[in-house]
Amino acid sequence: MARHDQRVGYGLPVILAVALHVAVVVFSVISLPDRDPEPTSSSIVQATLVSTETTTDQAQRAEEARARAQAREAEEQRQAEEAARQAEEAAAAEEAARQAEQQEQREAEVRAREEARQAAEAEAARRAEEAEQQARLREQQEEARRQREAEEAERQRQAEEEAERRRQAEEEAERQRQAEEEAERQRQAEEEAERQRQAEEEAERQRQAEEEAERQRQAEEEAERQRQAEEEAERQRQAEEEAERQRQAEEEAERQRQAEEQRRREEAAQRAAEEAEAALQRAIEGESEAVANAQQGQEAANSFINLVRRAVEQAWVIPLNVPQGASADVSVRLGPSGELFTATISQSSGDSAFDRSVIQAVEAAAPFSELRQLPATVQRDYRQFILRFRPGDVR
Amino acid sequence: MNDSMSIPHLIMNASTVVQLVMLLLTVGSILSWVVIFQRTFVMRRARRSHQIFEERFWSGVDLNELYRETPAEQETQGAEHVFRAGFREFNRLLPKTRSPQSILDGVQRSMRVAWSREEERLTLHLVFLATVASASPYIGLFGTVWGIMGSFQSLSMAQQATLATVAPWIAEALIATAMGLFAAIPAVIFYNRLSAESGRLLGKYEDFAEEFHSILHRNLQGRTETATA
Repeated sequence: MARHDQRVGYGLPVILAVALHVAVVVFSVISLPDRDPEPTSSSIVQATLVSTETTTDQAQRAEEARARAQAREAEEQRQAEEAARQAEEAAAAEEAARQAEQQEQREAEVRAREEARQAAEAEAARRAEEAEQQARLREQQEEARRQREAEEAERQRQAEEEAERRRQAEEEAERQRQAEEEAERQRQAEEEAERQRQAEEEAERQRQAEEEAERQRQAEEEAERQRQAEEEAERQRQAEEEAERQRQAEEEAERQRQAEEQRRREEAAQRAAEEAEAALQRAIEGESEAVANAQQGQEAANSFINLVRRAVEQAWVIPLNVPQGASADVSVRLGPSGELFTATISQSSGDSAFDRSVIQAVEAAAPFSELRQLPATVQRDYRQFILRFRPGDVR
Repeated sequence: MNDSMSIPHLIMNASTVVQLVMLLLTVGSILSWVVIFQRTFVMRRARRSHQIFEERFWSGVDLNELYRETPAEQETQGAEHVFRAGFREFNRLLPKTRSPQSILDGVQRSMRVAWSREEERLTLHLVFLATVASASPYIGLFGTVWGIMGSFQSLSMAQQATLATVAPWIAEALIATAMGLFAAIPAVIFYNRLSAESGRLLGKYEDFAEEFHSILHRNLQGRTETATA
């Protein structure tokens, strides 16, 4: 009896356990993805289209649609041209109005300038008159002063004569006694006279200086006035030049605008020609493309119908006691983005509960937003279709 | 089934907590299978050796000869171990005391010790198996709950709550529960089986000990009768 190998080691169990887990992992990785998970769904709703269209029919429809589109395009182009013409006319009228306005403005400016000139002249005249008046006034004042001075001088002269007379009388009275005094007095009187004369001269000089100053001031004022008038004239001249420049700039802008318009018209004409060319090309290509489109649309529509059918199937709650072989047709109308417009029973099954359930199924399955993924040419055709509901042997 | 929903892809894309849970469960599963295999081998070997030993014991061989044939005490197992312990004690006590009762007591005690060692040897690691069996469903459930929490958190940020946004998260979370069950079910089954097996073996050992005890008793009884006669 081999006693020593009775102790069981852990090597073999570890290997076995790891191998088991690896086997499980491999099994789960390999076998699960390969298993077919898709249960075959029994189709209980049969959706049929109102208009099942053949390829040629589709092509015709596509062609018609294209013709319609072209007509619409032409119409649009014509309208656009009309609009352009109207816009041009409006622009011309506006232009005329603007020119008239400019004319008027220019005239008004001229008038204004004229008025300004007249006003300036009047002002100058008024100033000159004023100056003259002032001068006259000043002269009168001068005259009065001179008269006053002359009177003063006369009075002084009389006073002198008086003094002379008195002196002579005194001389006569005191000739003997005061010969020396008299001489002395005479000398003093002479000195006095001399002083008075000097004062007189002084006054005269002062007056002359004043007059001189007055004259200078007047001359200055005159010069100032002249300078102002000159400045005024200069300003007016500048304003006129400015107006002239502005007018030229406006004319330039007008010319540019006209050139631009001309260019635009030419471009539009060229574009129209190109478009006509392209339309011709499209018309040539149209037939084969229409056929291809129709085929593609058919495929997309098939998938769309399948989607709709599946969605409705899922939403359909079949009532309990449906008579055997019941069938209802529902006419469905969709909006452009797949929303449900109307769902009406077009052929009743005779069982109102069944009909209601069918309508509810369509309403629950809406909206069918897959409609937007269809090509635009076939979208319109699939916005109305009939779904036939037949529960068959489901339940 | 698309590629994003395959199981390895789901495991790789799981959140860290869920991945840790999965790792723990995988380790627990591997260890429990190691224990299962090892214990199965041990049980099978013990059963076979017990069968052989019993055949030999009841074949009418002389007990002294049988005792001499068996190797040292540390290498013996099962009923052989019990027999060796009891017979050695019997041989040691026989010259020292006259009382058969005390001899039988000593033999029974030593056989009980040997039996207890055998029980310990047979049920080694079965407790681990029981732990895995009871705990791993809860661990897996924790991973699932955590994953579903994450899925709902991500769902709160999404604009549209479609099934497609939740499905990967929930599938990934449910993998944790699946792994917990995968670890727990074999552990439960084999724990029951192995503990039943060890219980049966231990019962056989006990039976053998009783039988051996009765043989020794009979032997002593005969000896005292011959001694008195």
